[in-house]
Amino acid sequence: MIRSKPMAGKKGRAARRGEPPKGSKPIKEADGDLKRKRDAFLQTFFQRGAALTEELVVENRRLRLQIEGLEEEGASLKTQLASDDAIRDLLKKIGHLEREKARLLSAVHEHAEITNRFADVESELESFANLYVASSQLHASLRVRTVVRNVRELLLQLVGVRSLGIYFVDDAERHLVPIASDGVDLSSLPRIELHATPADSVTAVVERAFLTGVPHVTEGPIAAAPAACIPLEFSERVIGVIVVYALLGHKKEFVPVDRELLKLLEAQAGSAIVSAYLLEHADALLPSPDVLRKACA
Amino acid sequence: MTSQYTCLVVEDSPMMRQLLVLALSRVKSLQVVEADDGVDGLRKLATGKFDIILTDINMPIMDGLKLVKRVRSDPAHKDVPIIVVTTEGSDEDRERALQLGANAYITKPIQAPQVIAKVRALLKMDV
Repeated sequence: MIRSKPMAGKKGRAARRGEPPKGSKPIKEADGDLKRKRDAFLQTFFQRGAALTEELVVENRRLRLQIEGLEEEGASLKTQLASDDAIRDLLKKIGHLEREKARLLSAVHEHAEITNRFADVESELESFANLYVASSQLHASLRVRTVVRNVRELLLQLVGVRSLGIYFVDDAERHLVPIASDGVDLSSLPRIELHATPADSVTAVVERAFLTGVPHVTEGPIAAAPAACIPLEFSERVIGVIVVYALLGHKKEFVPVDRELLKLLEAQAGSAIVSAYLLEHADALLPSPDVLRKACA
Repeated sequence: MTSQYTCLVVEDSPMMRQLLVLALSRVKSLQVVEADDGVDGLRKLATGKFDIILTDINMPIMDGLKLVKRVRSDPAHKDVPIIVVTTEGSDEDRERALQLGANAYITKPIQAPQVIAKVRALLKMDV
């Protein structure tokens, strides 16, 4: 327990007697001082309170602003998150579409390949059909007239030839002699003397094809006659030529199947004509089995 | 399989006839009957029902134009589709054939896909 220390000296005693201390101000003056002090204290107190309140208001405003900022930031982050999700979805969709595009392109490519393949097969089929028909018709008759007619027809109907001439060799005379024609008068076709200086370019081509056995078939658009010159083979020798002077107007060049047909004529037309001739001159008599057996032995 | 349609091919050239028949053999449900010329064609028309006719124009005895005229004047066959097979340079014949009632024409040298397409179109067949 703290005991208050009694006032010591003259001041203490005077106070106890109720007398103002010696040298102190009078009471009224003291009250005025106290009041001033109190007022000053109160003023200071309120001023500090006001300052504190002011500070609190400012702080409150700052915090409110901060909250507002944070709320805005939060909203922005939320938006960004949503936007990120949307972008992710879009990227996923783009990936899916890219795969779909690749699949479709592959399908289109495959379809184009199938179409090309189909066109190739169609062309091959046409080629085989033409060759089959040509081959079977070439040997369908054993009459010279019919065989030659079939050769001409094959060229006119299947190849699209406008004019042609068929030449046969005259071994004794060393001449190529025209024996049939179409689209051009037979009498207008010249006899071609072999090993003579060719009279013109057509004759030169015909002679060269006959002597070398190498066919002449124009590549690309046909500009000059003859369009083709095909040697006729028979028993490993050349016995004549087919000269194609011109093709039909709408046919500008030979197509692959035409070349196959010309090869077929080169290999078989000569044999077909000669065989037909020989059979006609044998009165179409069939050989006896004995003769054939001996021939096979 | 029974044939749903019958086609008459009138062509004097055995080679062309064989080629046409070969091309038409690729058309499903189509039976082909061959005739050598117009007279033979009319004879065969009289013996059966035909859904389409393919005829050459230049033929001996009776040509394709006369055949078209006769078919169109015959109540039994007046509505049968006719395709004429022509050669290049025979524009007048082609025009005449169309005027007489032919439905279409094909120019020689023929191409099988073209023949097949025209026949299918006139018979309204699914591809």
